[in-house]
This record gives sequence, C-alpha cells and structure tokens, in this order.
Amino acid sequence: MAATRALARRAFADGRTRTLSFAAFFAVMALIQVVGYERSYPTHAGRVEFARVWGDDVVVRIFYGVPHDLLSTGGYVAWRIGGTLAIFAAVWGVFAAVRALRAEEDAGRAELLLAAPIARGTLFGGAILGVVGGAAVLWAASWAGLLAGGLAAGGSAYLALALAAVALAFVAVGAVVSQLAPTRRLALGAGMAAMLVALILRIVADTAGSLAWMRWATPLGWAEELRPFTGPRPAVLLLFAAWTVALLALAAAIARRRDVGTGVLSTPDTEAPRLGLLGSSGGQALRGEYGTLLGWAAGIGLFAMVVGLLADTFEPRALSHSIRESIHRVGGASLTTPTGALGFYFLIFVFAIGLFACGQVSAARHEEAASRLETLFALPLSRRRWLLERLGLAVAAALGLALLAAVLAWAAALASGTHVSLPRLLEAGLNCLPSAVLFLGIATLAFALVPRGTALVAYGLISVLFCWYLFGAILGAPAWTLDLSPYQHVGLVPAQGLKVPEALAMLAGGCLAALIGLRAFAHRDLLGD
Amino acid sequence: MSLIAPATTTAADRTRPVAEAPAIETVGLGKSYGHSRALADLDLRINRGEVYGYLGPNGAGKTTTIRLLLGLHRRSEGKARIFGIDAWEDPVAAHRRLAYVSGEPFLWPALTGAETFEFLSRLRGGDDPAYRAELIERFKLDPDKKVRALSKGNRQKVLLIAALAARPDLLVLDEPTSGLDPLMEVAFRAAIAEARERGQTVFLSSHILSEVEALCDRVGILSGGRLVDQGTLGQLRHLSAHTVEATFDGPTPKLPPLDGVRVEDSPEGTLRCEVSGPIQPLLKALADLPVVALTSREPSLEEIFLHHYDHGAGGDGGD
Repeated sequence: MAATRALARRAFADGRTRTLSFAAFFAVMALIQVVGYERSYPTHAGRVEFARVWGDDVVVRIFYGVPHDLLSTGGYVAWRIGGTLAIFAAVWGVFAAVRALRAEEDAGRAELLLAAPIARGTLFGGAILGVVGGAAVLWAASWAGLLAGGLAAGGSAYLALALAAVALAFVAVGAVVSQLAPTRRLALGAGMAAMLVALILRIVADTAGSLAWMRWATPLGWAEELRPFTGPRPAVLLLFAAWTVALLALAAAIARRRDVGTGVLSTPDTEAPRLGLLGSSGGQALRGEYGTLLGWAAGIGLFAMVVGLLADTFEPRALSHSIRESIHRVGGASLTTPTGALGFYFLIFVFAIGLFACGQVSAARHEEAASRLETLFALPLSRRRWLLERLGLAVAAALGLALLAAVLAWAAALASGTHVSLPRLLEAGLNCLPSAVLFLGIATLAFALVPRGTALVAYGLISVLFCWYLFGAILGAPAWTLDLSPYQHVGLVPAQGLKVPEALAMLAGGCLAALIGLRAFAHRDLLGD
Repeated sequence: MSLIAPATTTAADRTRPVAEAPAIETVGLGKSYGHSRALADLDLRINRGEVYGYLGPNGAGKTTTIRLLLGLHRRSEGKARIFGIDAWEDPVAAHRRLAYVSGEPFLWPALTGAETFEFLSRLRGGDDPAYRAELIERFKLDPDKKVRALSKGNRQKVLLIAALAARPDLLVLDEPTSGLDPLMEVAFRAAIAEARERGQTVFLSSHILSEVEALCDRVGILSGGRLVDQGTLGQLRHLSAHTVEATFDGPTPKLPPLDGVRVEDSPEGTLRCEVSGPIQPLLKALADLPVVALTSREPSLEEIFLHHYDHGAGGDGGD
C-alpha cells in the first residue's frame, strides 16, 4: 500500500505542470462563461432572442453540442463548457495516462521500479491513481470556477463531474493504447486518433438530426446526455463507470502479461536504410516531424471539410440589436452569409496554426533536452543554421496546413452546393500565417532565453491572448486592453479583407523576435532536461 | 604544477597561422555554473599527433572541459583554441577538423545505424566509406537496427564508428568505452593506434586507467576542476614514489625511520614501503636483514591517480 501511494504521488507530481495549466484554464473558462452570459444577456427578452438565433444553429453545435436551455445561466454554461471543455478534458486524459504509463517505460524507469519489490499490478495501479488525482484537480478547479461565478453548488459540482468523467474515460483510453503501442509517440497518436473518432461521432450526432442516436456511441456524447442544469440524468454516469473500469481492467490485464518496455503491437527494429532527407538537419527534422505533420493535416483537413459543408447553414434572420452587437464585438463580420460564416470559423485555423508553430519550437527544444544537440553541434553545423532550418520547416508546414484548410473548405462548400470564391479562401488561408509567424518568433525567443520554459511560455501566451480576444469584450474590458491581443488585429477573411498593415506588422514582429532568439541561442550554454 | 611549461599567449595568437597552432590549447580556462565552479585555470597544450589522456574522477570537470573546447558551453574566463580556432566564436571552422564521441550516446531513436552514419557524414561533408564499412565489421555492429533497439554499448559504437570514419585531424573522446565489452575494447585500442599512426591527434577523457596507460603519450590528471598533474607516464612516475616490497625469513623486523621512506601496513613476514627520492638508504638498512626476496616497481597509473585523488581533491593543485 505504501508503494502504491509513493507511485501515485510520483505520477501526480510528474504531470503537475500540465494538470495545473488545464485546471487554471478550466476554472477561468467556467467563470468567464457565467459572467459573460449574465453581462451580455441580463434580461429575459435578450435571452429569448439569443436562443432564437443560436438555438438551432448547426455550426455552433460542432463546438458546443445541442443546447437544452438557453434561458438560464446554468443551461447556457452547461452547453458552452460542456461541449468544448469536454474535448480538452479528453485530450488531458490521453496525455496524462500515456505520460504516466508508456513514457515511463520508454525512459526505462518502469524497468527500474519493477526490479524493486513491486508487482506489475501495483506499478500500473499507482500510476493510474496518480492520474485520477489529477482528474480530481480538474474537477475541483471547474467547480470552483462555476461557484465563483455564482452558480448553485450542487449543479456546479455535477457539471464539473461531467468534465472529470470524460477525463477519466480518456485516461482509460490512454491506458489501453499505452499497452498496445511500443513508444510514447505512437501511443499519443493512437490516443488522439481515438479522441478524434469520439469527437466526430459526437459532431455527427449533434448536427444531423436523424443520427442523434450516435451520441450514445461516444463518451463525449454521454457527457451531453448527463444534462447538467437541464434535467440531470445521473444514471448516465454508470455508462462512464462501466467504460472506464472495463478499459482499465483490460489495460491492467495486458500490463501483467507482456514484457516490460514492449508493446502488444511492435514496429520492426531492423530495416533497410532509407537515406532520403538525411542531407541536412532541416530534412532530418522533417523526417522526425512527419507523423506530427500528418496528424495536424488530418485534423485541420477534417475540420475544414466540416466547416465548408456547413458554411451555408446560416440563414438570413432578423437579428436583434443586441445580437448584432455581440457579433460585432467578435470581429464585425456578418455571419448570415457563407463567406461571413467562413470568416468567423477560419479564426479557429488562425489559432490552430499558431499552436502548430509553437509546437514546432517545442520539438526543437525537445532535441536539446534529449542532448542530441551535443551530437549535432560537435559537427561543422552552426546553431543559427540549425535553428533557421527548423524555423523554415515550421513556416513551410504552417503555410501548407493553411492552404490545405482553404482548399478543402472550398471543395467541401462546393460539394454541398455553396459557391465561395477560391482566391478569397486562399487569402483566408494566408491570413493564418502572420499571427503564426509572430508566435513562432515569440516561442523562438522563449527557447533562446528560458529553454526549459519554452512550451509553457509559448502555449500559455498564445492561449491567453486568444481567450482574451474571444472573451475580453464579453467581460467588458476596456478597448485598449483588447487591442493588446494580436488576434484583435487579424481580419476575418473571407468576410473581411486581409488587414495588410497589421499582418505586415505581425510578420515583422515575429521575424524580429526570431532574429533576437537566433542570436541569443547562439550565445548560450546548451541545456539538458 | 605541470611539467610542461604552460603555453604563453600573445596578441599574435589570433593571427598565428592555423597551420602551426597546436591541436588543443587552453590558457586560464575556467567555467562557473551559477555559484558552482566546474573548472578553473586550465592550461593545456596538446600537440598535433599526440594521444592525450585526460583523467579524473566523476565530476572532476572532464566533460566541462570538452564542452568548452567544442564551444557547446561558453567559458567564464580564459581561452580555448582548436588548431588555433576559438570554437565558441567559429564553431563550424573548428568542428570541420574534429569528431566528438560523447560519454552518453545521444542519437535519434527512429534512425537506423546506417541512416545515422549517412546523416552525420553528410552534415560533416563526407567520410571514408571503406573505412566505415571496415569499422562496422570490426565492431560487429548491425547497421540496419534502429537506434531505439540498440543497447548503450552499441549506440556508443555507432558514434565511435561515425567519428573514426570521418578521419578527422582531432578525435575528442569522452569516456568512449564506458559501455563496451572487453572484445570491443580491443577493437577500440586498435583503431586509436591506427589514428595515431595516421598522425591524428586524440584527446581521450577516461577513467579506465589501463586504457590510458596503454594508449596515451601524455596524461593530465584533473581533480576538483583543476589540473593537478600533467606529463608523460615516465615523468609522472619519476616524481612519484616507487613501491618496494621485501619478504623476510621470519617475522618482519623493525626498520629505523628513514628520510623519504613511508612504511605501509603489510602482512607478517613482509615489508611494503613507498620510497620517494633515493632508494640507497633503504637498501643499506635492508642489507643486514634476512631478506629472501626484494621487488621494486614503478607506481602504476592507478597509484598516481589515487595519490592525487586522495591528497589533491578540491585542493589548489598538485605539486
């Protein structure tokens, strides 16, 4: 028992930075939704109008699911965070479980621990217990955010529980893929693919009325069916319990039977050499990032097709003044035409491609943390050149993803009978680049100055600035503070034109930050993990 | 402290033709990490074609020295040059002439051995493919295996083969054999001997004393971030004590106190002492005693090393 406790504490501590970041995000999002709704729609009439416009809208259901009650704060908040935060909870679950199980085996630490008087079941159970502790933190943080907004304690705890239940369901998924895949990377890929399948099932169920039954086929759908604040159905928790316990039992059973350090599925250890792309460090980086790139291309491509297919579902409606004003606040586009809708939803790609850029700098930092740069930089290869090649790869890949989103959205819109101009959509794709380059530069600077904090600074800054852009206005923040977010200066292409001076300023800012970063990186000690 | 006069540097150093510069030269080299001092006041001069052994216990500053030489870490004070080139200022030019094998083989897990050779050699601008193939054979490496699936010793072989096949002017090796089995150790020694015959310079950081004793022309001993002794093995031995062991017919007799002779704990019937300076007084004292056997030998490198480790660790440097 003492061993289990020690292992659980270790697993919890290993994941604490990620868990606390997610917990802070959950708490803030919960609070923002409560306060934002009550500030924006203080009157019953305003809420009725809101429900009339948005209640049946198909595109917003992609993100939030089906609303059941938009006239009460609880119902609104359950819809808004129940849908989006559940996706984040699922991502957290996969990452946390793979970190605690497969990454420990990858690093050889599991072998070390199993050489001690510790049974395989104990090792597995201790790690899972630590991750469950992390899920409890997410639950408490969400609850605290809702309480701080002034929602009822019982209902808030139940809504927070819906998020924690999703997190645990995907911890179980992460536990199973950790048994199957032989490396951390593959396990993460498989876990995220499972998450994507669950999300697509939920989106299909929520947007195509005749397929609503599919909601019962995915944990993300069960979370909706828990119906917090709108006629709760706690019995659905039994589904979660059954799923989680069954998958964890399966994972534990596999863990007891297989060789430590291997997966049920294995990749060949020996293969004939493939010498392509080995001529430069940039080419080799592309080989290493190939899987990551494919994953991003699949995610962005799928989403672009969904957005394109649904671009025409907005119908011109008589919008009230308050609704027009709230749309105006998030950028002033008209959502009632396909181009208007696409302009709004391409914001998601603007943000996603920024995240991708941050991820590329994190990957560069990972090369340093694993000390492989000591091997590289003992060769006649300058640090500037290495980093420049990596940044070039990031920009080229970001451009590729942006154009992929544009072309697929256009093609999907065309297939569903909506004609949108391809050049305008390509412009929308290009519009993703300036802010991505800005954050790439900032992340590079962080990599040069605070290497160990690269991911935290890069992901933290981009998330905070994007959320501030989305929710700052709803919270009634003064205009000049909103202008601090670069996203405030991104045009909603194709609904609006490309904001050229702002875009150029962002490109220049990103390049300047990257140049300072390049210089600083060339002049600092290499820093291991 | 060192037997070789420390290199003097002048303003002309910067402009000195690279063709004449020693393979490695440091003057007053030092490095601090925060408040902890990893290396202080290091003067090294390693000539072309030399095989230099760099000895020291764990944490003595061996890897720090190499990182400063290669320009991977920035020195806090002093100078470091490789063939007259400051590797911090111009790493690309300095690294064209050297190859480095780190103590921990940090490689790309998804690449196979063959792919790693290709990648490293193309970044370097070429190697000797025939010699590479020969080394793969001699070190018994399966080049089609992914690095992920290799043991530490085999990953070390990958780095070692890549470095040797590059035929660089200077090989910088940081405990390159810590994961190798005795058979591979033999292959390693043969490869270093070949490098020496070809006129390559070798900087070998190690704590395997027999390896250094077998391979190196000159040895430096590092302790607590300082170079405490340096010279050829002969020079180091000359300054250190000889060990004299006498066996008696009967119980060990009592010896009068003698200058420069330190009697050590020895089994009954034998006498073991360390003699620094002339051996004459000890021989005279032993002449009248019932000695049945007498051996005298030079100190092993291990004894020299332990002498410095015991007495010089953290101190302000040797003699």
